[in-house]
Amino acid sequence: MNAPLFVIEKIRKQFGARVVLDVGGLALHAGQSYALTGDNGAGKTTLLRVIAGLESAQLARALYRGLAVNLCAYPEWLRRDVIYVHQHPYLFRTSVKDNIGYGLKARGAPYRERELLVQEAVRWARVEHLIDSPAHKLSAGEKQRVALARARVLKPRLFLLDEPTANLDAESRQQVVTLIRDLCDSDGVAVIACHDQEIIQLPGIYRLHLQAGQIDHRGGQLPARDPSDRSPLGASAASTPAESLKWQAVAND
Amino acid sequence: MDWLTTTRKAFALLFTGDADLWTIIFVSLKVSLLAMLFATPLAIGIGYLLATASFRGRKLLIHLNQGLLASPTVVIGLLLYLLLSRQGVFGSLHLLFTRRAMILGQIIIALPVLVAFTLSAVQGADPRVQETSLSLGAGQLRTAVTTLTEVRFGVMAAVFSAFGRVVSEIGCSLMVGGNIAGFTRNIPTAIALETSKGEFAEGIALGFMLLAVALIVNFSLAFLQGEGGLK
Amino acid sequence: MLRALIGAVLLAGLPASAVSQDLRLATTTSTESSGLLRAILPPFEARYHTAVHVIAVGTGKALKLGENGDADVLLVHAPASELAFVQAGHGVDRRKVMHNDFILVGPSADPAGVRGAPDVIAAFRRIADRKAKFISRGDNSGTDQMEKTYWPLAGVSPAGQTWYISAGLGMGEVLTMAAELRAYTLTDRGTFAAYRAKSGLQIEVAGDPRMFNPYSVISVNPAKYPDINYRGATEFSDWITSAEGQRAIAAFRIDGEQVFFPDAQGR
Repeated sequence: MNAPLFVIEKIRKQFGARVVLDVGGLALHAGQSYALTGDNGAGKTTLLRVIAGLESAQLARALYRGLAVNLCAYPEWLRRDVIYVHQHPYLFRTSVKDNIGYGLKARGAPYRERELLVQEAVRWARVEHLIDSPAHKLSAGEKQRVALARARVLKPRLFLLDEPTANLDAESRQQVVTLIRDLCDSDGVAVIACHDQEIIQLPGIYRLHLQAGQIDHRGGQLPARDPSDRSPLGASAASTPAESLKWQAVAND
Repeated sequence: MDWLTTTRKAFALLFTGDADLWTIIFVSLKVSLLAMLFATPLAIGIGYLLATASFRGRKLLIHLNQGLLASPTVVIGLLLYLLLSRQGVFGSLHLLFTRRAMILGQIIIALPVLVAFTLSAVQGADPRVQETSLSLGAGQLRTAVTTLTEVRFGVMAAVFSAFGRVVSEIGCSLMVGGNIAGFTRNIPTAIALETSKGEFAEGIALGFMLLAVALIVNFSLAFLQGEGGLK
Repeated sequence: MLRALIGAVLLAGLPASAVSQDLRLATTTSTESSGLLRAILPPFEARYHTAVHVIAVGTGKALKLGENGDADVLLVHAPASELAFVQAGHGVDRRKVMHNDFILVGPSADPAGVRGAPDVIAAFRRIADRKAKFISRGDNSGTDQMEKTYWPLAGVSPAGQTWYISAGLGMGEVLTMAAELRAYTLTDRGTFAAYRAKSGLQIEVAGDPRMFNPYSVISVNPAKYPDINYRGATEFSDWITSAEGQRAIAAFRIDGEQVFFPDAQGR
C-alpha cells in the first residue's frame, strides 16, 4: 500500500457555537479519487477551500507527503501541487488559450513548452473550436471544461473540484463527467464535492460523506488501485465488507 | 455680448492656427500628460493595496483619500506654493513658476481621484479572481496584475476622470505656474486671462480647444486598450 | 537628507527647463492686460538675451512675491506700500518709471449724477449719498489701495453697506461686473482702454490730480536672497528708465491713444 499523499490530521472550523467542520484523520492516497457528498450547506465547499488555502479555520493541520503543514499559514509551494476549481469557475477576460496557459505562464514555462502543453490540454477538453474565443462568453459547460483543462495542464498532485456538474444540462454534464473520469485515472488525487450519482458511481471512486461537520466513510465500490494498474475496473471486481473495514482502518491512521 | 458674433469669432480663431495658441495647447498637454504618467502607476498601486491588504490605519487612509477628492485646486496650489517658495522648505530647488511645479501640483490633484476609482474597482472585483489566480500558482504581484486587468474598465474610468480633472484645473496652475506667457500658460489659465480682458471669443475658442484635446486624449486611450474601448 | 532625496525625486525624470538667465518680473494686471509689456519687452529680451517671465498678479501679491524672493524685479503702482516695502529692506533701487491715471467709470445713465463733479472726492460722496452701486476690487491691488484713500476724504465709510460691492476680482472681471450691474468703479486708463467688453460703461470723472497713478520698478534685495537674479533685475531697471525704454512706453498705443506716460529722467 502506498503512503498517503495528503493526510488531514485535524481541521476544525466553527462560527461562534456552530461547528462547521470537525474532520480528523483523513488520508488521501495517490491515484485515488474521492467523491465528497453531503447535504447542501454541510460544509463540502468549506472543507475543499480550507485544504486549498482559500479559507481560514481555527485549526487546520495536515501532512503532505509526510511533511507537517499548517493550512492556516498556507505555504506557497503547496499551491503548486493543489488546485481548487470553483463550482462556477471564473475564466479571465481573455482567450480560452490564455486562460489555460495562465498557470504555466505564472510558473515561467518557456513559450514553446507552453504552446505544446496548452494545445494538448485544448484537445483533451475538446475545446479546439473555442481556442481563441473570449473565455467569459462561454456556456457553463464549456467554462467547466476549460477550467478543468486549465487545472490539469499544471499536473497538480491534488485536484479539488467543487460540484463540477451542478447546473449543467445533460449534454454538458456528460462531457464534463468524461473529463473527470479521465482526471481520476491520473496519478494524482481528485476530491470532488458533488451530488451527482454518475460521479459517485464512477469506477474506483471512494465516497466520503460529510455530515454535521464530520466525515463518514461510506467506502467505495472498489479498493484503491495500484498506480501502475491501468485496467479500467481495477484488479478486484467488487469490495467485500471486510475490504471496506480494512480501508476504514487504513484511512484512520 | 452677442452670442453669434462671439461663436463665429471663436471658430475663426481656432482655424487661423495662432503660434501663441499652439504653445498654450502644448503646455496643457505636456503638463497634464506628464502628471498622469507619474501619478497613475503610483495611484493604482496604492488603490490596490488599500483594497486588498489589511493593516492598521487602512480605514483612516481611505477616508482621508475621499476627503482629498473635495479639496479645491487653489488650496492645493497655495500649499504647494508655500513649500516651493524661496521661503519654503523646498525653496532652494527653484521650482516655483515653472512647469515642473505645475506637474507636481497636478500629480497631487490626480492621486486621490485615481486611488478612489481604483479602490472601488478592485473592491468590486469578483472574489473568485484572486482565488483562481492564487490557486493556479500566481504570486502576489501577478495576482495583483491579473485582478487589475480583470477590472480594467474601472481603472480606465479612473484615468479618464483624473485626466479630466487635471487638464481643466486652474487654481493650482495659476498659483504655482504664474500664468507666464509662453511658459506656464496653459489652456485654463489662458481662458482666465482672456476673460479678464473681456476677450470672450478667445476664451470660448480656448474652451473648445480644451474639449477637443480632452476628447482626442480619451479616444486615444480607449483605442489603445483595445476592444473598442467601450463595454 | 530626506529633503535632498525628495528634491532628487522631484527633479529627476522631469524635462529640464532653462535655468537662471530668466528674469522673473512680478507686476500688476494693468501692465499685462493692457498689452504694454507684450509690446515693450521683446526689444529688452533681444538686447540682453534674457527671457522675462511675467507674473501678473495684484500689487499686493506682487510685493509679497518680492518679499519672499519668488520674483527678481517688481513693476507696481502703490506708492505707500512700495515705500514700506523698501523701508522694510525687501527691495532696493526703487525708480519712477511711468504714470497714467485712474478714472471713475459708470453706467451711461449715470444715476448718481457724478458726471461733471468738480473732483473725484465729490463724486465719491455723491455715489455714497445716492447709494449708487459701486464695485471695489477688494484685492489689495494698486487700484484698490487708491480707491480706499478716497472714501475717508469723502467722509464715507462704505464697508458693509449694501451698495458697496467688494468683488475680490481682477480689473477686467470688475469692469464686466460694473457693466452688468450698472455700477460705478475705479479703474486705470490702460486697462479700461484695452478692455473689450465694456458696453454700457463710460468715463465719468477723470483728470483730478489725486487720480495720478505712478508706476515704479523695484529690484528685490540681493542681500536677502543671494541667488536672486539681481543682475537681470538691474538690467531691466536701467533699461526701462533709459531713453530707449521710455520711448517704448510712450510709443505704446491702444486704439491710437497713448496710455502710459514715461516719468523717469532718461539716461
